[in-house]
Amino acid sequence: MTEIPRQITLQEWDQRYEQLQRAGLYQPDYGGLLSRHIEDGDTRLSKLRYDNSAAALRLWNFLLTEEDRLHKARAEGKKLVGTMKDLGTIPVMAYSLDNLVAFYPDGAWWIPCVMELNTSLLRIADQLGIDESFCPVRAMLGAFLTGGHFPIPDLLTCSVGATCDDFSAIAQRLNGLGYAILWWEIPHRRHPEPDEAAVKLPGGFRAPKCQIEFVESELQRLKTAIEELAGERLDEKKLAAGIKKANIVRSYLAELRQLTFTAELSPLPALEVLIAEMLAIHFCSDQNETIVVLKGLLEEVKTRVKAGIGFLSPDAARIFWVNPVADLQVMNLLEDCNGRICGTEYLFTHALDIIPQDLPPLEALAQMALADPMAGSSIDRASRICADIRAFGAEALLISRIPGASHCALEGQVIGEIVRDKLDIPVIEIEVPPLTDSMRPTLRNRLEALVEIVLKRRKK
Amino acid sequence: MKTIIYTCPYVPAEWIAAYGLRPSRVMPAALRSTGPLALTEGLCPYVHSFINEVITDSPQTDTCGVIITTICDQMRRAFDILVRRCNLPAFLMNVPHTWQSVAAQKMYVDELRRLGQFLLRLGGKPPSDDTLTQVMLEYNAARASILAARSHLSARQHAEAIAAFGRDGLANMLNADTSTGIPITGVPLAIVGGPMVRGDLDIFDIVEQSGGQIVLDATETGERGLCPPFDRRRIRDNPLVELAGSYFNGIPDASRRPNSELYNWFKSRLLDRAVRGIIFRRYIWCDTWHAELWRLKEWINLPVLDIDVGGDNEAHQHRAPNRIRSFLETLS
Repeated sequence: MTEIPRQITLQEWDQRYEQLQRAGLYQPDYGGLLSRHIEDGDTRLSKLRYDNSAAALRLWNFLLTEEDRLHKARAEGKKLVGTMKDLGTIPVMAYSLDNLVAFYPDGAWWIPCVMELNTSLLRIADQLGIDESFCPVRAMLGAFLTGGHFPIPDLLTCSVGATCDDFSAIAQRLNGLGYAILWWEIPHRRHPEPDEAAVKLPGGFRAPKCQIEFVESELQRLKTAIEELAGERLDEKKLAAGIKKANIVRSYLAELRQLTFTAELSPLPALEVLIAEMLAIHFCSDQNETIVVLKGLLEEVKTRVKAGIGFLSPDAARIFWVNPVADLQVMNLLEDCNGRICGTEYLFTHALDIIPQDLPPLEALAQMALADPMAGSSIDRASRICADIRAFGAEALLISRIPGASHCALEGQVIGEIVRDKLDIPVIEIEVPPLTDSMRPTLRNRLEALVEIVLKRRKK
Repeated sequence: MKTIIYTCPYVPAEWIAAYGLRPSRVMPAALRSTGPLALTEGLCPYVHSFINEVITDSPQTDTCGVIITTICDQMRRAFDILVRRCNLPAFLMNVPHTWQSVAAQKMYVDELRRLGQFLLRLGGKPPSDDTLTQVMLEYNAARASILAARSHLSARQHAEAIAAFGRDGLANMLNADTSTGIPITGVPLAIVGGPMVRGDLDIFDIVEQSGGQIVLDATETGERGLCPPFDRRRIRDNPLVELAGSYFNGIPDASRRPNSELYNWFKSRLLDRAVRGIIFRRYIWCDTWHAELWRLKEWINLPVLDIDVGGDNEAHQHRAPNRIRSFLETLS
């Protein structure tokens, strides 16, 4: 019998866990009670609401044990690659070799939220002159200096060029503190000149061929460094196999997103969708397990859709969400306000698009890197958002500003104007700091107002 | 003559002039919180002022195009605003942040060629090597004379001379009396940071009135933003490559990755000019320079005064002179 989907608290998950155990739930080695992560200091977990499926339990446990996996990998003699900023490209290269594990130190930006500022990370960043005027990713500096959240990588790479200044500046600060960084360039993706050879990238953007060749040459430099670290050649065959595997993850996510965003009843809460999407960028440090976790989640979603069960009422406002939130609790808040996610653009859509398998592998990855929505103009980004809003049938756009992020000062205006002009749907912009507790009533008001407007427009 | 405006130091004025167009480096008059584009939370006041100045002023002048570069993320995004709100043809030039690879240097040259196509569309004529060489030599001489005049001008006059050279090119060269130098009577200071606006050049006067003297203008609109002299032999071989090399490799900036060359540049000049303190001038929300503040403090054994500039806020404007006076009191 299919379980009724519900969002439950951490406390309720403990009871649910016992129930599932009794029913013979299989647990991987990282499995167990969700509440145990509170002992690691992840106190925000007690304030979130979770999907009640076994698949979601596995997803959360997988996410919350990444640090252990990284330490285990090092203990097993594997080399660690810290890939900063490119969000989805370099890990595909690294995971093509068996003795490498890649992860994003950028992920530390969620630590202040998950640990509710109970760490010294932001204080350390402050002491290094990187104060709250920077994006919360500044927590990464503290994580490097304390060494308490992830092992220091054996190789550190960072993409620059068409990236946000705050991240680039923080990475440079890290470099100035003595951490060697292999910098590589993703240029601003420009429109091809009228007489210039051009390529349509995965996801639909176009780029001049010479820019793809440039990025390919940059990836070649990275490949050499990765090979030196691994002590093994990363030939085309291995890289092609790595791409194929990454595409399994991406195809599962594509199906998961399609079903979740378009089903009559939302089959998976916004928070779990966000976590699932994040797995695409570096596979949470275990590519094989990512595939298993996503497969389980997808099966659960399919079952629910087929049974016509899910969350919220069928009239929930269908919201397209732009930019990830620094406070995960806000995803729950949207649902409290009778809003559901119908489309997302969390800055890494290029990590969700299928990597071409009919091209030389490095060229295919160069295309993916250039397809980064942040590498091009906000106008291009808005076009893709419009296309996705149409595809998923969203009724409103919510742009979530990241405090201090250099791109947020101007992009919201451009994206908002274009979406209003092209689609005539309501648009709001909110700012989400790592902890929103003190501003929760204001945020709730804004979200409720958006939902209300959507529902009112339906009646017209 | 048709004018092409820009603000980034990595745009070579010589390349525009060689196309028969007038290059003019914009230095906004002042930081204003009002204008066609609202000053929103997180927006760098300089980027805001630049956008508003382009939107407001360009229709009233003979400006026929604007060049933006990618060295700053908010400037890169300013291009999106300009193409939507302004009829002025705009060109976004990719200036690589990495600089140590041949590919990055080649991209810069390729971008200059692409810029050339933009200039052609605006009525420019493609220059012969001889024309480009001639223009480069003229600008070279002009830059050399401006740098040489430093010891004969007050710090403010020198900053204004550099600004005038950027704005008017060779048309408005200074005629400083170079027979006598201005003795350094105040505490020698350096000013470090991004670009300045014209209204903020008062800071040079404030420093002098407080007993100091700026002997090194390491702002983007100061001598740090001037490319080094061209090599005459290499100009003869390939003027475009020499132009690109001098600009791309010769202007140190906080935005480069890595930006170690910036510190090498500081090191030699701070020592040469016996600098005793640094005024670090940064715009709020300029992450690139903000992140360098503490690094500079850790790196240099000199006192550093942080002046954050937030726009036309009165409190900000009064705070800076007070802080400069206190800083100089401690150094006297």
